[in-house]
Amino acid sequence: MTPREQPSWQDLLDLVTRLDGGSYDAVSVQVGDVSVTMSRGGALPPPTAPVASAATPAAAGPTTPAAPTGATIDAPMVGVFYRRPSPSAAPFVEEGAEVTAETTIGILEIMKMMSPVVAGRAGVLTRFLVADGEAVEFGQPLAALDPGGS
Amino acid sequence: MTAAPAPPVILVANRGEIAMRVIQAVRRIGGSPVLAASAADADSPPARAADRVIVIGPAPAAQSYLRPELVAQAALNAGAVAVHPGYGFLSEQPALAELLEGEGIAFVGPRPETLRAVGDKGSARRVAVEAGVPVAAAADVADPSDVRGLGDAIGYPLLVKAVHGGGGRGIRLVRDADELAALAPQAAAEAEAAFGNGALYLERYYGAARHVEVQVFGDGEGGGWILGDRDCSVQRRHQKLIEECPAPDLSDERRAVLHDAARSLVRALRYRGAGTVEFLVDTESDDVVFLEVNARIQVEHTVTEEAYGVDLVAAQLRLALGQPVGLPDVGPVPPATAIEVRINAEDPELDFRPNSGELTRVEWPRGPGLRVDTHVEAGYRFPPYYDSLLAKLVVRAHDRRAAVDAALAAVRATRLEGLATTLGMLERVLAHPEFAAGPVPTSWFGPVWEGRAS
Repeated sequence: MTPREQPSWQDLLDLVTRLDGGSYDAVSVQVGDVSVTMSRGGALPPPTAPVASAATPAAAGPTTPAAPTGATIDAPMVGVFYRRPSPSAAPFVEEGAEVTAETTIGILEIMKMMSPVVAGRAGVLTRFLVADGEAVEFGQPLAALDPGGS
Repeated sequence: MTAAPAPPVILVANRGEIAMRVIQAVRRIGGSPVLAASAADADSPPARAADRVIVIGPAPAAQSYLRPELVAQAALNAGAVAVHPGYGFLSEQPALAELLEGEGIAFVGPRPETLRAVGDKGSARRVAVEAGVPVAAAADVADPSDVRGLGDAIGYPLLVKAVHGGGGRGIRLVRDADELAALAPQAAAEAEAAFGNGALYLERYYGAARHVEVQVFGDGEGGGWILGDRDCSVQRRHQKLIEECPAPDLSDERRAVLHDAARSLVRALRYRGAGTVEFLVDTESDDVVFLEVNARIQVEHTVTEEAYGVDLVAAQLRLALGQPVGLPDVGPVPPATAIEVRINAEDPELDFRPNSGELTRVEWPRGPGLRVDTHVEAGYRFPPYYDSLLAKLVVRAHDRRAAVDAALAAVRATRLEGLATTLGMLERVLAHPEFAAGPVPTSWFGPVWEGRAS
């Protein structure tokens, strides 16, 4: 990895894997103008959706989105949400990326069948609200979307 | 004291009163109930009664309760060791049973191959014939111009059916040999025109039969329990309205025929868990014929439970978990009589039109021998997406007469406001002298209701 270049997503994945294998509780690494912040405690800004949300009866229903403001991209059914097409691949989209209605933001695994999840509307995907590999329910917000002026 | 093991998680893949019933049974056996619900039911009373809810899809059942892969995925997400499908929805779908089998999760019901074997009429009839179970006399027509011999062998009245017909089309009722001889060539021509194939068969018709069914519980090895019978003859358009256990006025001989036939089917299928074998019992002859096997817990399982003092749903769960099922060996006739009335969110004065909306007042009767299975409470918004069953009121008494009286009093003491319900219709039936004298055939309710004094 050379500091003058943008690290590839594979570089970042390797970095994350290495950091994950260490004994850090929280760690922040700056590579060029890319910064990676990891924490095992879940005290990360931006926070992922609390894992307990799925365990709260009816809390994750479609009428009670967990996102504080703005639009969300919601799970079209129950399943396990993945942000990348395969464990070693780069994520479909990064937080802060612009998306169109057709942009695939992740996949939902249902009984080993993979269904793409599309943004549904254009805007900026400001952050993901669930962790990669998290079990989600129908209607659960997966990501926050800022429709902006569109 | 050693730490208690974590309670087994059981996914309840249904809604309404049966979801509530299964959740109670999961608690009874020390399990942790998790409900797989549609978005419309995410805040329902069963959802609040469960330890956890997993919303599997939107309100329409075709996108939630009827999707085996969503239910199986929810079972995985929940860490469930077993899935109880209730009745309806996926309860008799081999697809769910197989998906779960592949994940090492128990399906609370028969094996997938059993569901297939009894899942369609033709296959179920073959299984029954092989097991020595009486079926309605029937024969294929080889030559439509030469049918008198066939008709005489089957007996009259009989039905002429198009082999390739379906959904009630291509069926004609004939009363004697002359009528049959005149109609058969015409029916073959019509079948040829309508279905592209003129093949016909004849089947004995029973115009005044009772619906009697036997409750079975198979151990999966060919043995099991026969838990008496039920009469479900008060029906409107094949929908059961009132059920009772035991079936009244059944001779020992006839009862033995029914129970032995059910036992043969359990053995032949190596049936696993709760099931029902349905029969027509003719009131004009000694004929008893097999109808079908319902490979699930049924709505009316309650009357068997009350009459015998057993918990069939808990037994289902225990069998699925590999535990002793806890059912007693019982005689063919229970020590008490139980009657169930189905209270539906339908308006009997408007041709039983279903209605939805908020229940503003809900009051159930109390007293000895009374049981109410329901998922509704005051303030509950009855949704428009699913079936109209609102509650089941079950009474138990020392004999049928006392049970009919108790059921009538219980219906009169029930208060449901905000929705039209079938309570008034049930009161009329329970107070009817012919029902009180019992038993009535399945053809009884329709004309009696249509001809009522308003």
